Amino acid sequence: MSDLSLDATQLDRYSRHIIMDEVGPEGQKKLLDGRVLVVGAGGLGAPVIQYLAAAGVGTIGVADNDVVERSNLQRQVIHADADVGVPKVESAANFVTRLNPDVTVEQHHLRVGPDNVESLVADYDVVVDASDNFQTRYVVNDACRLAEIPVAHGAIYKFEGQATTLVPGGPCYRCLFPEAPEPGTVPDCATTGVLGVLPGTLGCIQATEAVKLLIDAGEPLAGKLLFYDAMEMSFETVPYRQNPDCPVCGDDPISSVDEVEYTGGCAVRAD
Amino acid sequence: MQWKLFADLAETAGTRTVSLDADCDTVGDALDTLLSSRPALEARVLDDDGDVRDHINVLRNGENVFTGEGLDTPVDADDELALFPPVSGG
Repeated sequence: MSDLSLDATQLDRYSRHIIMDEVGPEGQKKLLDGRVLVVGAGGLGAPVIQYLAAAGVGTIGVADNDVVERSNLQRQVIHADADVGVPKVESAANFVTRLNPDVTVEQHHLRVGPDNVESLVADYDVVVDASDNFQTRYVVNDACRLAEIPVAHGAIYKFEGQATTLVPGGPCYRCLFPEAPEPGTVPDCATTGVLGVLPGTLGCIQATEAVKLLIDAGEPLAGKLLFYDAMEMSFETVPYRQNPDCPVCGDDPISSVDEVEYTGGCAVRAD
Repeated sequence: MQWKLFADLAETAGTRTVSLDADCDTVGDALDTLLSSRPALEARVLDDDGDVRDHINVLRNGENVFTGEGLDTPVDADDELALFPPVSGG
């Protein structure tokens, strides 16, 4: 094991990973060398950051332009009462520092958009879409697919959640939902409310997918949309296929997010 | 057959499931039957041209009908149909 350069503290900290054949010291080294970008440090991002940090993912980028509000604390479990008013990226970094000194947090205090997404995602092995709006979700899908970076997608609504994993070679988010609903069509959490523990369940699924992708183990949730209904306590999986006409991953793809208007339906320009 | 509705579609309809007793030959017939007595849901699901909005998926027994025959897909009495939109909360 020494040739994998895990020190004694790490062998202890990650012993429950290392003891399993499916992870082992090699898998743990992959996690420690791994770079994951979490887009959004809110309800979904909180458990994602928590578990990736605990797992020893060596570098976690956190992109978010918000500050912690008291109304976040019912579900955003990495932020505390004393963090109200603090940028979420800073609060997230402080949380991770306390949890695991092996992990470096890269703080991106910005709103992910077409102007910054390509340079932002380029440095990461896996991106977790824990954002809270369609524009960011489409821009992350498009940029990551063009850069061939896998995305662990999750989204929530009141008592329901959707998760899927977008891997190069498989269908992308636009294959499933070609365009976003017009703004105002699907209400957001601030309008509708959300069960506090709901993003915990979905975020843990996203974190699981990110870990599997990093250690190259198991089957990613690719080409399948997982529905979770907290009220029914039911999980359903629906298959979906790559769309040959998809403007991002189909036969004649766009070359840059510059070709997309990220307003309204986030449609690809027909020119 | 039964329709299952997800997220805001269920709220717009006021129910998560709708059982249809009507004689429907295709998914399109079953959709028309579902929407005919629910104008708010119809406005949410169909665009101005009467087509299903791009972001709403229609499933028959867990398969997206738009990867096959679309709304012309035949239906049986014991089929489960579903309508789901994307959600964006995080």
